[in-house]
Amino acid sequence: MTARISSQRYAVEGFQEALDLCYSRGWTDGLPVVPPTEPAVRAMLDAVGLEPDAQVAFITNRQVAISAEKVAINAVMAGCRPEYMPVVVAAIEGIADPRWGYHGPATSTGSAAVLTIVNGPIARRLDFNSGDNLFAPGWRANATVGRAVRLVMRNVVGTIPGRLDRGTFGHPGRYTYVMAENEAESPWTPLHVERIGCRPTDSAVTVMAALAPIQFYNQLSSTAAGVLGTLCDTMRYPGQIGQPNYCVVLAGEHMRTIAADGWSKADIRKFIFENTTNTVAHFKRTARMPGAVKPEDETATRPLVQSPDDILVVAAGGRAGSFSCFIPGWASRTSSEAVTVVIKERSA
Amino acid sequence: MAGFEILDPTVEPRRQPLTYVPRPDSLKGKRIGLVENTKFNSDKLLQRIGIILKTEYGAAEARMWRKHNSSVPAHQEIIDDAKQTVDVVVAGIGD
Repeated sequence: MTARISSQRYAVEGFQEALDLCYSRGWTDGLPVVPPTEPAVRAMLDAVGLEPDAQVAFITNRQVAISAEKVAINAVMAGCRPEYMPVVVAAIEGIADPRWGYHGPATSTGSAAVLTIVNGPIARRLDFNSGDNLFAPGWRANATVGRAVRLVMRNVVGTIPGRLDRGTFGHPGRYTYVMAENEAESPWTPLHVERIGCRPTDSAVTVMAALAPIQFYNQLSSTAAGVLGTLCDTMRYPGQIGQPNYCVVLAGEHMRTIAADGWSKADIRKFIFENTTNTVAHFKRTARMPGAVKPEDETATRPLVQSPDDILVVAAGGRAGSFSCFIPGWASRTSSEAVTVVIKERSA
Repeated sequence: MAGFEILDPTVEPRRQPLTYVPRPDSLKGKRIGLVENTKFNSDKLLQRIGIILKTEYGAAEARMWRKHNSSVPAHQEIIDDAKQTVDVVVAGIGD
């Protein structure tokens, strides 16, 4: 690949000056970055077979085209290996999809992060963590792919805290928020196969505008309904009507308990959908809906999401521990929805 | 370490000329459009603004549209309708 890289170049004396320049220009997320040299950027582009000026995505509301060159530069800065580049590109395609609705999750006071779920053989080949310490530091793929997406949002699209990003709290997932599904041990159909009809041998990423994970504990139940009953009780009360998606992440012990009862992911979704409704009276008393409580509000109920299919069920997390978690989506169904994108790997 | 070059990760925003309609000197007799963004009470706030623009500034009328949701620009039907039916638009968002 010899097409010219058109980005402006800055000569530096060494690593420290490069780092100082990146900080002074506001190009980092606060952590040090890898200096994006041309050879490193070329290696990223080669990994996806894209010319520097190829358009990866277009953010309509910002009228910004995201070129392969800029994705590659930011992926280098984030610390990605070139092999991760197809995953970064697919995630960028996902957040530029009109269904994801970039402007809202990127800008809102509601502080969504880009939850990124990797499925398929690429997850295992590149050592994306799907097990112990699922969201913790220590795995280069999880740490740097999410960081690369965030740096693209910052440096290319202008999603900068305090300016176009007005999050009230933000959350730690805005550094990186990436997991893989534990397909090797899961008894269930993988997420990408369920959502867009991929073959299990395909790889894909699912991006969801997401708040922080909320963990629950159930060490007592030996049944699917028992475990999920605790989940539903935990989900119901912090929930708000109209959220677009929830992601439910079932870790090893709960996964095995639920599967032993023969429940599929569809069964899990249906149970959660039916057991997380709240009364209109509850929503009004807790100021999630306007208006005075009327007698009929005590029996009128609302679900947390519009459809059971809006609940993403993922098998991931440590093998030990009677914990699982759920992750609320951001805002409303008309504002943003999870998007699954096939990862295009360069054929050898 | 020898000197080397690094590449700029940012993009220059694409510049495009934007022409604003001149603000009217007065709202007297003007037709007011109010674009409501679906957030709680945004309709009430804009209704109140519409009343103030009529009673205190002499606007002729005020009508309201509702966006699909608060995170997107006003949809095309609103823009097309507003072009035909009002002279001034007030859009509001509040958190």
